[in-house]
Amino acid sequence: MSAAAPALAAPLSRAHKVATTLILAALVALPLSGPHQFILHMLSLVAISSIVALGLQLLLGFSGQLSIGQAAFYGIGAYASGLFATKLGMPFPAAFVLAGLVAALTSLLMVPITRLTGAYLAVATLGFSILVYLLIKNEEWLTGGSFGLMGIPRPSLFGFVLTKPGHAYLLCVAVAAIVYFALLRLEHSRFGRAINAIRQNEDAARASGLPVTLLKSQCFVIAAFVAGLGGSLYAHQVRYLAPTDFTFWKSVEILIMVVIGGMGSLFGAVLGAAVVVLLPELLREVGDYRMLVFGAILMAVMLFGESGIAGFLSQCLKFFSKR
Amino acid sequence: MSEVLLEAVALSRRFGGLLAVDSVDLSVHAGSIHGLIGPNGAGKTTLLNLIAAALPVSAGALRFRGEDITRWSPARRARAGIRRTFQNLKLFPEMTALQNAAIGLHAGTRCGIFAALARPPRQRREEREIAAAACRALEFVGLAAQQDAVAATLPYGHRRLLEIARAIVAQPALLLLDEPAAGLNQTEAASLSGLIRRIRERGTTLVLVEHHMDVVMTVCDTITVLNYGRKLAQGTPLEIQQSPEVVEAYLGHGDELPAEGARAVA
Repeated sequence: MSAAAPALAAPLSRAHKVATTLILAALVALPLSGPHQFILHMLSLVAISSIVALGLQLLLGFSGQLSIGQAAFYGIGAYASGLFATKLGMPFPAAFVLAGLVAALTSLLMVPITRLTGAYLAVATLGFSILVYLLIKNEEWLTGGSFGLMGIPRPSLFGFVLTKPGHAYLLCVAVAAIVYFALLRLEHSRFGRAINAIRQNEDAARASGLPVTLLKSQCFVIAAFVAGLGGSLYAHQVRYLAPTDFTFWKSVEILIMVVIGGMGSLFGAVLGAAVVVLLPELLREVGDYRMLVFGAILMAVMLFGESGIAGFLSQCLKFFSKR
Repeated sequence: MSEVLLEAVALSRRFGGLLAVDSVDLSVHAGSIHGLIGPNGAGKTTLLNLIAAALPVSAGALRFRGEDITRWSPARRARAGIRRTFQNLKLFPEMTALQNAAIGLHAGTRCGIFAALARPPRQRREEREIAAAACRALEFVGLAAQQDAVAATLPYGHRRLLEIARAIVAQPALLLLDEPAAGLNQTEAASLSGLIRRIRERGTTLVLVEHHMDVVMTVCDTITVLNYGRKLAQGTPLEIQQSPEVVEAYLGHGDELPAEGARAVA
């Protein structure tokens, strides 16, 4: 008999706990140092993108389903929240939750395609992304079409309107943190093990009695719900929505975040979001060449190995802790 | 005779123009160890795949505990108590041995997404129970010391045992083993025979596809011989070894049953 109780999940390492606490504390304390409004706005966008990327990490990194259609759910969440607030005068918290639910409901359309895998699933989700973009662009009576959706109010909580950029930023960080810790719990659970098993060997998963289609669909719904929440935050952060915010290129960007951050790593998804949102801004000085440099950097990161930035960092951590 | 646990009636499977399994009748009795042997390409693994629903049936019917399961999905059959191993190992390579075994318990446990998020006491209790049961399964097959090892890093013999642990962790009524002795040395094969008997003692009925004649002849109560997808003979190990048709079928294909079979008897 083994002495210690068997553990299904390795307890989180101390380094991981310390790092998470420090990063979170720094993010929360940041507005106190009085940074420029633009920096807070960019970091809010990083937090929003992190939320969407975390959802895709569950779908792709955990369950192994390659979706290039997450911008569709992001866009549906954004427009739903914007419309609820402008047309129905709904308070922000209700619009926020409903935006997630609307995106989640829409994702049920994906249930029939969960039987597809790899490139076939990728193209099907890409098609969905294009479809949703065209709907947003052409259904002018609802979305305002190419003119966009204007006059979306700032987020408000308990009757207080978050007028200061620092407050809106804290809201985005708080939602991102909640999504991060929620998905961390899912990762180390019966559900998390099951979707991991499906990714690693679907035949063996079926032979072990796992309801594969149900589990895969649940991943789509969770990823879409989370993307919808991100979309709602985006709508109330920029307060003007245009169809061009939700083209298939946005789906590709979300995919890049997950892949360069490190597949299967929640922390990697956040790092990837930060890189994809901030790097083009930092590269502004190289002017017209910035997307060229951005592309080259993406290729260089991928050459480091498939585990992305998160994998690279944990290698470094191991290297230094050994010395 | 004990009750029939699994019954195949005129079961067939066609691949294009080839009848890989040609209207085979099979009765597997509860509590028995039932061997499926035959020359290469005789349809043994195909028959096993039909029982596990890894392949759809072309014609015929399958009954499990008297219930028609012919149209059931692999997962539904697994949930009903039919588990299997694979000829070419199918593990979850990035997971630990304990996590691999725990997957076998998914069907019998309940906690879903909301329980994972809120972590109520029943969720923590269930996780402890899953871990304990998975740990017992690993001990049963002799992998207790490897519980935290990542599956891909285990040596071949251990990976075979891990697959068995995952298949028996939920105490299935029927276990289908597809060449469990493939690639094992003599010592490992002998201890596999012991393991197969102990699995039966726990109340699991076994169907065994195997080329390793020492294992087949020592553990099986009943052996069915397939040739060209048809049932050639059925009987006890002794009857099979003495059957002229069986010897002819093997000799005709240059297989090594007579020599191996003779050694098993000696």
